[in-house]
Amino acid sequence: MAQNQNSTYNPSLSGNPQSATSRAYPNGNPDLGYNLPGVRHTDSVVPLHPKAPVIHDYAADGPAPGNLAFRWIYGSNIAARNRDPRVQVVQYNEDTYVLRQNVCVHWEAPFTYLLFGNKGALLIDTGATGNPEHYPLRKTVDAIIERWAYARGRTKVPLVVAMTSGEDIAQNQGLAQFAGRPDTTIVPKPLAAMKQFYELLNNWPSGAGKIDLGDRVIEVIPTPGAHKDGVSFYDPYCDFLFTGDLLFPGKINISNGGDFVASLERLRAFAARNSVKWVLGGHIDMMFVPGKYYARFATYKPYERVLEMEPHLIDEALQYAREVKGKETMLIRPDFVLMNGVSPDARTREWPAGVPNIDAPRPF
Amino acid sequence: MDRRTFIAYNAMAATPIAGASLAQAVAAATTGPRVDFTSNLPASGTFPEKWICGSSSAMDNTDPPVQVHWYNEHTAILRQNKAYSYEAPFAPLYFGNDRVLLLDEGFVTLRNDWDQRGVVDECIDEWCARNGRDPASMELLVAFSHLHADHYAAVNQFVDRPKTRIMGLTHEEMLGFWGMTNFPDERVAVDLGGREIWVWGSPGHVVSEFAYYDTYTQILYTGDMFYRGRCYISFWEPWFDSMKRLVEFCNQYPVTHVMGCHVEISKTGEDYPYGVTWQPDEAPVEMTVQQLRETYEYAKTINEPGIYFTGVVFLCNQTRSTTTIDKNPYRY
Repeated sequence: MAQNQNSTYNPSLSGNPQSATSRAYPNGNPDLGYNLPGVRHTDSVVPLHPKAPVIHDYAADGPAPGNLAFRWIYGSNIAARNRDPRVQVVQYNEDTYVLRQNVCVHWEAPFTYLLFGNKGALLIDTGATGNPEHYPLRKTVDAIIERWAYARGRTKVPLVVAMTSGEDIAQNQGLAQFAGRPDTTIVPKPLAAMKQFYELLNNWPSGAGKIDLGDRVIEVIPTPGAHKDGVSFYDPYCDFLFTGDLLFPGKINISNGGDFVASLERLRAFAARNSVKWVLGGHIDMMFVPGKYYARFATYKPYERVLEMEPHLIDEALQYAREVKGKETMLIRPDFVLMNGVSPDARTREWPAGVPNIDAPRPF
Repeated sequence: MDRRTFIAYNAMAATPIAGASLAQAVAAATTGPRVDFTSNLPASGTFPEKWICGSSSAMDNTDPPVQVHWYNEHTAILRQNKAYSYEAPFAPLYFGNDRVLLLDEGFVTLRNDWDQRGVVDECIDEWCARNGRDPASMELLVAFSHLHADHYAAVNQFVDRPKTRIMGLTHEEMLGFWGMTNFPDERVAVDLGGREIWVWGSPGHVVSEFAYYDTYTQILYTGDMFYRGRCYISFWEPWFDSMKRLVEFCNQYPVTHVMGCHVEISKTGEDYPYGVTWQPDEAPVEMTVQQLRETYEYAKTINEPGIYFTGVVFLCNQTRSTTTIDKNPYRY
């Protein structure tokens, strides 16, 4: 991708597919040629009327192609009158879905990820609302799985439901909707049971667990710090790191400074060994201007930063996590804010040097 | 004629003598007996057991945007739904024989977001139907407790309403609206037609703030300088003096309830953090004079910025932008 890795605001990531500047080559780049290697990872290789279950080739060289080419719905000024979908679904590619809870159902507006492999599917996180009338996560996931199973000629798609943190009430509330679902494995919430499930009892947090979806093996990396039971997931197909509350474009509440730094070090070492295209967190708090964020409980966020974070932000987060470690303080960076030992509502007058201080338009 | 006299001036009385009999004939057809607001005081009234206070999923809220509660038949209290704005301010609507006083407008600007003016008009129609008046004969005063947007944002919904006076959005215009020249000590009586509202200055949360005392229900409306929640005190000395003024007023005159503009605290004294849209167990809006006195006594012991819980309210002494009450629940 022709992108400046260091720029704070990247128009090609603005999330607006209609914008003339939203892609570096809005009409395609002829210099890249027509037959890119990623083509074999797309649904174009799936037969139209499969006679047997389709076995997909997930052995990708580099990240599988895909695009988050839609803007997230952003709530409304009068939350009670919002009529947007309760769960917004964006297909990143044929085997990878990003789901987001409507901010007017719950202000945390968490992201939920659904990944498919040849032997099953994985749902990462479950949203902030349990009531299926308000937040029909199970129904939405079932519908996606049903359509996917039809296209791949399958009758059964076993589902694993895992969470970036079992204790996080912004991510574990939808779990109850999956209780009793056939062909479903739920990673247990309590820390010890979760460690056992991933076979990490003896090597937490230095080890790594695995969830095999069938030729797409998701790696489970213990990353406590924001939550004591925090884990991150690595998808070697799309080259995504799903980091939940540990690293996301927003106000990161550090719950244990030592663990937080150690987890980021582990992630950095991991990213050095493996190709990482994007880090995808569980929420967005930041606005599209550097260092500015929406207040907690906001139900109208029309100028959000994009979800995806470049992997170099792991290094930046690590550098500043070391700086705030052991101090009760809040530190603003262009793409995230570190809150160490302070109230989640804390504010600071310290503004990072060299970062333009832009007052974002304030919707009323 | 100064501004205060002008506001209290009865339009009927200004009619030239020649037209007087005609005007009175027309008035007689639509005017029921004048309500006596001066005997059997204080007029009794009730607050609701529980106000509408948002919902776990804001977009699934089916409550009306404003809850209208009739404290008694001549006094309504409006409260914005939390799912329409987290500020959810309260707004008393006082009826007199000649005019109606709306204190505070909700945190909304456009009528198509939600129709604050429509709600107020309905209340006036209802009152007029009960009392045999023509709503067109009633004057509406659109005022507010202090100069913050969650209290005045809806004023523009009223700009094309006939027989309506709207308080301006500067300190000077606010004082001028009540005809004050010696803020904050001067106490002004606003005549709604047999029902007097007394107004005086109450700075501290902001510079431009009033306290309102209704002589009929004897409710003391203290705006944002004293309410059940986080009293953000921007200026300590003026706030403390304003508290003293309120307590001294209570020593001199009977007060049934002390009422603020918001509720941000649960029945058990737990803080509802700034911005939440659901307060399932919120405390009542009304407070007692005793609680006001206790807060004043507590305030005497405060001599530096910080957050103090008095048992009734949080006093946030000059901390607005640096400290808050809520904690990260996952710390380990």
